[in-house]
Amino acid sequence: MTEVILMAHVLFGMLCIIAAVWLFVDVLNANEGNQGRIKTMSIAVAVLMWLAYLIGGYWYLVFYAADKAVILKGPWPFAHKFFMEMKEHVVIMLLLLTTFLPIAASNNLGRNKAARKLMLWVVGLVVLIGLAMDGSGAIISIGTKAGLMKG
Amino acid sequence: METINKYTASFGASLAITSILSAVLVVIKELSEDKILAFMKNLTGHHWATHGLFIVLAFVLIGFGLAKSNNGQGLNIAPGRLITFIVCAVVLSGLIIAGFYLLAG
Repeated sequence: MTEVILMAHVLFGMLCIIAAVWLFVDVLNANEGNQGRIKTMSIAVAVLMWLAYLIGGYWYLVFYAADKAVILKGPWPFAHKFFMEMKEHVVIMLLLLTTFLPIAASNNLGRNKAARKLMLWVVGLVVLIGLAMDGSGAIISIGTKAGLMKG
Repeated sequence: METINKYTASFGASLAITSILSAVLVVIKELSEDKILAFMKNLTGHHWATHGLFIVLAFVLIGFGLAKSNNGQGLNIAPGRLITFIVCAVVLSGLIIAGFYLLAG
């Protein structure tokens, strides 16, 4: 069951990044025709991020202690000391950035160049930070695996 | 000059402020394990849960507070400045958090 929770966290995180890339392209080509889809996609990115955060948060609070002990005794203690500690706090910024997207998308992006530029910067940050979080998650997983193989 | 609506300006500024606030809170709580970290842990059972709740609550409250400022017209900020504010705040916050754990780890 714990694996399913963890996989759901990764799944929603990846879907969030993919949806954000979709949103970036749509905003680049913003016009009256795709305004509705931009609003829908910005809500989708926020919802997917909140799902990834809440599911990952539940797993972290309930199950991570065992993994943490394994990582710290293994050959990759930095997987927790740096990557997990950094990830669990930087992800809060990602949550704020994605929550802001539907608000920024409430402007008419087809006509308003300034609002479009703002959206592009925020979505760009979401994609870059999202990829950094995904990579950190992979390093944490390998840290656990390396710890188990050593033991 | 093109403008953005008051909620975009206000919550954009709130996003930048709470990002910095979150990074500063990371450093403060980690340097004060006996007091701040322990207090945050007591509130919800885990310091990270308290941290997340506090920051999300701050984002919402500061956002609505700024939206009501200026006689209800919201924060008056040029879109270009808001972008600079958000990007600099998010990058700086990330560097503070990553830098702290890099040095602490």
